[in-house]
Amino acid sequence: MTTMYVPTSAPERTIGDVLLKVDDISLSFGGVKALSNVSFDIRQGEIRAIIGPNGAGKSSMLNCINGFYHPQQGTITYKGVVRRHMRPHEAAAQGIARTFQNIALFKGMSTLDNIMTGRLLKMKQNFFMQALHWGPAQKEEIEHREFVERIIDFLEIQSIRKVPVGRLPYGLQKRVELGRALAAEPTLLLLDEPMAGMNVEEKEDMCRFILDVNEEFGTTIALIEHDMGVVMDISDRVVVLDYGRKIADGTPDEVRTDQRVIDAYLGVQH
Amino acid sequence: MIYRETGQFKISYAADQAIFPIRQDLIGILLILAVAFIGVPLLATDYFYLAILIPFLILSLAAIGLNLLTGYCGQLSLGTGAFMAVGAYAAYNLAIRVPDLNLLVIFLMAGGIAALVGVVFGLPSLRIKGFYLAVATLAAQFFIDWVFLRIKWFTNYTPSGSVSAPALDIFGYVFATPRQHYLFVLVIVVIMALIAKNLVRGRIGRAWMAVRDMDIAAEIIGIPLLRTKLLAFAVSSFYAGVAGALWAFVYLGSWEPYAFGIDRSFQILFMVIIGGLGSILGCFLGAFFISIVPILLNQVPAALGVPISTATASHLEYMIFGALIIFFLIVEPHGFARLWQIGKEKLRLWPFPH
Amino acid sequence: MLSVFAQIYDQPGFFLEVVLGGLMAGVLYSLVALGFVLIFKASGVFNFAQGAMVLFAALSLVRLMEVMPFWAAFLASCVIMVALAFAIERLVLRPLVNQEGIVLFMATLGIAFFLDGFGQTLWGSEVYTLELGVPKDPLFILESVFEGGVLINQLDIFAAVVAGGLVVVLALFFQKTKVGLALRAVADDHQAAQSIGVPLNYIWLIVWSVAGIVALVAGMVWGAKLGVQFSLALVALKALPVLILGGFTSVPGAIIGGLIIGVGEKIAEVYFGSQIGGGIENWFAYVLALVFLLFRPQGLFGEKIIERV
Repeated sequence: MTTMYVPTSAPERTIGDVLLKVDDISLSFGGVKALSNVSFDIRQGEIRAIIGPNGAGKSSMLNCINGFYHPQQGTITYKGVVRRHMRPHEAAAQGIARTFQNIALFKGMSTLDNIMTGRLLKMKQNFFMQALHWGPAQKEEIEHREFVERIIDFLEIQSIRKVPVGRLPYGLQKRVELGRALAAEPTLLLLDEPMAGMNVEEKEDMCRFILDVNEEFGTTIALIEHDMGVVMDISDRVVVLDYGRKIADGTPDEVRTDQRVIDAYLGVQH
Repeated sequence: MIYRETGQFKISYAADQAIFPIRQDLIGILLILAVAFIGVPLLATDYFYLAILIPFLILSLAAIGLNLLTGYCGQLSLGTGAFMAVGAYAAYNLAIRVPDLNLLVIFLMAGGIAALVGVVFGLPSLRIKGFYLAVATLAAQFFIDWVFLRIKWFTNYTPSGSVSAPALDIFGYVFATPRQHYLFVLVIVVIMALIAKNLVRGRIGRAWMAVRDMDIAAEIIGIPLLRTKLLAFAVSSFYAGVAGALWAFVYLGSWEPYAFGIDRSFQILFMVIIGGLGSILGCFLGAFFISIVPILLNQVPAALGVPISTATASHLEYMIFGALIIFFLIVEPHGFARLWQIGKEKLRLWPFPH
Repeated sequence: MLSVFAQIYDQPGFFLEVVLGGLMAGVLYSLVALGFVLIFKASGVFNFAQGAMVLFAALSLVRLMEVMPFWAAFLASCVIMVALAFAIERLVLRPLVNQEGIVLFMATLGIAFFLDGFGQTLWGSEVYTLELGVPKDPLFILESVFEGGVLINQLDIFAAVVAGGLVVVLALFFQKTKVGLALRAVADDHQAAQSIGVPLNYIWLIVWSVAGIVALVAGMVWGAKLGVQFSLALVALKALPVLILGGFTSVPGAIIGGLIIGVGEKIAEVYFGSQIGGGIENWFAYVLALVFLLFRPQGLFGEKIIERV
């Protein structure tokens, strides 16, 4: 019963066509404009960073992508299909998973159960089979448990699998949340400040996990992050937002030397 | 020392996911079941059955129903009594209006009807949360009270408003004595408790707990909120309905609508709070406790030579329950079930200090 | 359905009577709801025990009046309610200070049950009549406009005046005094208020005392109308639909909500209830509140809750 992770694709990364495209998105709450005419795209298989000062609208952008907020203007095209309004659970069914800035774990449940909830969309056995918990229901439960255990091994959180997540330190909670998002086998993974509040070692671990997920499964990743070192190191392309507007869009090198970005956010040349 | 887990290794997920993974727990529960099925029928008196065991079992069932809805799914409900009433009256009407219907089928259908009513009154839960939802369930409680009081068809136009259940006749075997009643109820409760436990440790239970803990996050990872909540209402009301039918047919024999009024709802809520929200074991502990206190209040002062009137006894009951709820909320919000867990943890070390 | 409108048209005097009667009942609901609002506004706690407090206060008053004049009994009852507030703050609120709302709600459930039992153990559980010195015979007004006049209960007028006076006093208290300002700060955010030096325990003591005295006034008026008895506590459950209509944090909302529920109930009972067996009053308010909740979850005056992730 080995639980070694076997990569299913070659370590060579291929960045493909456009997976997600946001066009001219504007979002306001009451009188506050969170996003103004933002357009960019994300390609299949790449790691796309979204950066900018606080309040620039980065989280709001992610919320629009997974259907939690509905922009007043603009469209989102995902897998070639133009969406108007999508509810969050539809986004989840379409293969979009995310983590949150202020951890949104289910505090009353253990690590294992939290990650198992990520598998819920894939569990099909009906009510009566569940009630008896034998045969097909039990088999399904065990299959998903195996998958989740592989994620647990991958994220190196075996020792805390039965601990209620409310009791875990912040860094571990973030890891569990990543595990829950991974459990859904997403096509597009949205990470909202996954390394906030972590020390250097924890950040290195998290970087490694993100890169592994991207390389081994080809999962496309959109990443909000403040740590410039991380952004420059791991992302393929970067979008910069400021006051709800896009002010730069390109490779890390292009963005880092862009004067507008330096003025608005970076300060000194990084 | 006695309660040691060392040496118990699980080599399959199935073993790890078992209801009682620790061998001592499994032995414990088998012992309890043995006592319940064999020991008690040999030793108990009629009074014991009628005054303690049967009400305890039936109310535990209702408590399981409420715990599934409120403890596991986080939807506060003050209308359990009403759903019990639906089950009771549905069973009654089926029994007297549909000839030759098997009693077990009647109970199942009564539960089903209660489930449907539960779903209807659970529909607001999509828009309403927390205390507001509690008020919606109060609407259910008072409305259903009124229905069974005023719409005479349900009580078969009896002049007094109270009705009597027919005898418990299943496949020709009549359950008449208290011991037979007890065994009948015991089997039903054990089976339904097992089903409840299976539900909560599988995908449905996890969906419920996710909705309870953070419904926004649950929706975002793909859990369909309305369906999950309505399922909780349906299952919870099913259990309450069956409990109500049992309460009416087995325990009371004849009853009027007041048996399932708001007081009953509060009583079940207290059982669930004191026993522990989110714990099947807690339902039994809470039900046992709340069943026992009135009896103690009746017997103990008289035994000590200090007689108190029944009115005073019922006031003292209120005071004790109120004080206990506050006490538990301060000391251990997860009720007896958590105290039990803590006790087991301590038992792991005993007699060593650490 | 149409026959109802015909009825109203035929006997407008009677309709006015029903409406006025409903308004008066509504005033009584508002009085109880006021206590809820006060506590919720200032401590975020949904005080399920408000009804039990009304009963307890009324019992104290009526039993004390057996041995002392009204004013002395009233004052003594005020003292008792303050002592009760003290006990609640010390024994229940302080230990539970950082818990979530649902835990505090269940704690007030416990308080309600405890008070029910305690009050009746202490003061007895019979039905007591409360004599306030207000004449019981009804008045006929507007005899010139409507044939036979419109029937109004003098006690109800008294209740309305008392309620009105109480609302004015409370509004002034919240808006104009330093304590009122501190209360509003606490209602917004406990920890922030503490960090600017608002003494939380002291504030809660004041709020629960005021709510206790409001409960006393409500109990006094209800008790004079219905007699002081156990069902008074259940009447308080009726205040919940009032709060839903009016919002949990609004004093004017509690008043208007109470009036709407009172009138709505009476009209439903008189004109529709007779057709389907009567007794609609028991559930009409709740169903009305429920329907309301579906369209406007925050009530008429409450604040809209925006959820953020």
